Amino acid sequence: MHFFLEPGFFSNAPVRTALLLGAVVAAVSAVVGVITVVRSQSFAGHALTDVATAGGSGAYYLGVGALWGFLGGSLAGAGAMELIGVQRVRRRDLATGIVLGAATGLSALFLYLDTTVKATTGATQQILFGSIFSVSSSTIPYVAIFGGLVVLMMAIMRRPLLLTSLSSEIASSQGVRVRMVGVLFMFCLAVSVGLSSIAIGSILSTALLIGPAATALRVARSIAAATFLAIGLGIISTWLGILLAYDSFYWDPSSQGLPVSFFIVAICFVFYVFSGIALSRRRAQETRRPVATDSALSAEGR
Amino acid sequence: MRQGLAVLGTVLAGLTLVACGTTAAVAPNGIIRAVGAENEYANVLSQIGGRYVSVTSILQNPNTDPHAFEASTKVAKAVSAAQIVVQNGLGYDTFMNNIEAATPNTRRLIIDVQKVLRVPSTAPNPHFWYEPFAMSDVASVMARDLSRLEPEHTSYFSQRRKIFDASLTTLNKTIEALGAKYHGIKVAVTEPVADYLLREMDVDVVTPFVFQADIMNGVDPSPEDISLEDGFFSKHEVRLFVYNQQVVDSLTNSLRDNALAAKIPIVGVYETMPTPGFTYQTWMMAEINAIVRGLSTGKSTEAL
Repeated sequence: MHFFLEPGFFSNAPVRTALLLGAVVAAVSAVVGVITVVRSQSFAGHALTDVATAGGSGAYYLGVGALWGFLGGSLAGAGAMELIGVQRVRRRDLATGIVLGAATGLSALFLYLDTTVKATTGATQQILFGSIFSVSSSTIPYVAIFGGLVVLMMAIMRRPLLLTSLSSEIASSQGVRVRMVGVLFMFCLAVSVGLSSIAIGSILSTALLIGPAATALRVARSIAAATFLAIGLGIISTWLGILLAYDSFYWDPSSQGLPVSFFIVAICFVFYVFSGIALSRRRAQETRRPVATDSALSAEGR
Repeated sequence: MRQGLAVLGTVLAGLTLVACGTTAAVAPNGIIRAVGAENEYANVLSQIGGRYVSVTSILQNPNTDPHAFEASTKVAKAVSAAQIVVQNGLGYDTFMNNIEAATPNTRRLIIDVQKVLRVPSTAPNPHFWYEPFAMSDVASVMARDLSRLEPEHTSYFSQRRKIFDASLTTLNKTIEALGAKYHGIKVAVTEPVADYLLREMDVDVVTPFVFQADIMNGVDPSPEDISLEDGFFSKHEVRLFVYNQQVVDSLTNSLRDNALAAKIPIVGVYETMPTPGFTYQTWMMAEINAIVRGLSTGKSTEAL
């Protein structure tokens, strides 16, 4: 046990902050992530991380808290995509790509200014790949409030969201305001990306958004079950990642720990690979014994 | 169209000529063109070279992170025209090597402080100018190279080097006296910026070097080291917190707040010489005075 859980893990203040922050962020990402995968908006989710990068690096430049930069950036990005036309599926990738490119250019500008004009050490590393152990514990209430808001909105919009994801025609015939639902969902996606940028960095936040959700959708048989499974997988990945990063301090005689973001993302990936193996076994069984099976949206999440 | 190309060709040829012209230019009135990669070296060089040298410094803004500096074309132009260049080495100003390689000039003299001090390339701390004892060696190489460029002013340069050395002696005597007084006193730091000076003062830097290097290199430090560093303040294990006020982030800010809350005095140190109003020696003296003030009266000096 000593090898797995090095001493002082739970009494370490940065670790406790990271565990709490990581759990909230992982849960919010999972809830939003499942719908993102179902709506095939993973690319938009990824583009928002690039916009969040621009926001985060801009915040460093302006001397504002990184959380506000990440949130502001991804919300502005979501707004821009919405204006260009993310709602129409045919134009969605185009709008996303254009916003992504512009935002990445803006990040290059801000990161340049951060290092040449402002006295920020390692801004690039912290914005792109996160710095969960150096997040101030005073950030947690804000993360919890925004996270709670998103989860609440997602719970309220559950039915219309699923309906519009399956068919916008059917949804609007049922009286769902498709456009409104899409806008509100983009808001939730943007906030979720902004929050996870604080934890594992803006570039890697897609991994926490899509990874556990995609894994859960492969295995679970309903959206509700997939959501709960994704929350569990996300929290396990984050906590295990934090534990391994803590332990890695003792692996090497020079006491140079390894980055926590790497562990979290690697664990998400391992879960996804294992779910693929589980899925192919189940499929093999089902072809032998053809019973009516409708796994959560044909398993691949499309 | 063809005419347009011809015009373009003429313009390009003209530009090439102009470009060659600047590199080959001889300094007017016997004034040596020099570049100091860091403004503290530029300052020492101009103290030695006096009226026969015109020094441009590259890193001179105390509000930027020197470790993350990227050179501009302006810098490249200054380096390509320089007859003598002083740079720190040990990866602190690698951009200088790149520019020098891009503007080859066999007659340009390059003083690499790491090489002057014979510091192995595996050494972890590049902030050599915080070792005033070593600056004497750098100054003597500067005087030698300036004399090589203008042999007729050799006695002038060596006279000025003696004046510089004398002022360093005062500085070094102060440091030695403090070493006897503050031997073994525990201090915490964020980065190894002033570590050479603190070592000469014989104080005990308790912050793990891995943590200092992580902050210096902009890498996320381990949670173990963060809570160890915080513990120095909350358990009152250190008498002083030496803080690189030039390069800050949310973590160093929170460490600063914790130190202040625990009433541990803070001394802000700079990587780049604050200008105007300082010479290399007065800057070092101001840092030493700030450290002494913190240790003896418990007062913080967050900025010079």
